[in-house]
Amino acid sequence: MLEASGIPTVSLSMIPDLTRTVGVPRLAGISYPMGRPLGNPHDANGQRAVLRAMLEVLPRATAPDTYVELPFIWPDSPAKARNESKDVPPSPIVELVTRKPWLLPNLYSGRIPRHQEELCAKD
Amino acid sequence: MSIDSYRFLDFATRQVMKAWASRERAGVIPFTPLEKTLSACMVALVSTAGVARNDDRPFDQDRERRDPWWGDPSFRVIPLGTQESDCRLYHLHIDPRFGQADLDVVLPMRRLTELAQEGIVSQVAPRHYSVMGYILEPDALVGKTAPAIAERMRADGVDAAALVPA
Repeated sequence: MLEASGIPTVSLSMIPDLTRTVGVPRLAGISYPMGRPLGNPHDANGQRAVLRAMLEVLPRATAPDTYVELPFIWPDSPAKARNESKDVPPSPIVELVTRKPWLLPNLYSGRIPRHQEELCAKD
Repeated sequence: MSIDSYRFLDFATRQVMKAWASRERAGVIPFTPLEKTLSACMVALVSTAGVARNDDRPFDQDRERRDPWWGDPSFRVIPLGTQESDCRLYHLHIDPRFGQADLDVVLPMRRLTELAQEGIVSQVAPRHYSVMGYILEPDALVGKTAPAIAERMRADGVDAAALVPA
């Protein structure tokens, strides 16, 4: 909520449908893999082009929920990108719902186990 | 063209992301117009890759491993000039090796410096920021972390911020 504090922001997103549901002032969508939002390591020209394109959304927006799809195309296949990170362990939540799939509806409903009680107890 | 980066993800992660997307509801979206031209702006970066300097407190990965419904809502300052060897990526939902090999993949401070040299922006902020990208309950992030970052940005004279996911 930097924007509410008076600082204009632009957000880049690989999953603009998720980001838009949260509600952001200015959004630039890009079809790049997670973990590589600006592009591949050491591709300075590619990274600079993405950064420049997202910054240029800043002056263009006149109202919140401005959404621009950036035209960049990932140079390799999705399968290759997935394979490159195959040996990385799944995140704790993915590991949990893979082991206990019946917990997945909690994510949909927002009923977050245990932790919610902690929050209420603090109030 | 429509953006579909879900294709880069494995099946289980895709299901979790879609579940998360379906539960979020946007409230009133704040909006602050850019008051200068971009070429007159000092710009700061915020990365959600969970970058912390080695001489700073690490993000809490252990608690997230114990309680996967929780994500560390704190932030770290990343001064301009921080190199790969000065910091680590703590986000547990990405392959950190790309950003670890080249920090500009997630926190493009060098690219921003080049854009300032080209005159696209006027100045690069002296301080940039990182948070963790997975926080289901954003109360602390919105209520404490964001105002604390905004306060530092204002002190530095930042005109606009670019938020980079991971």
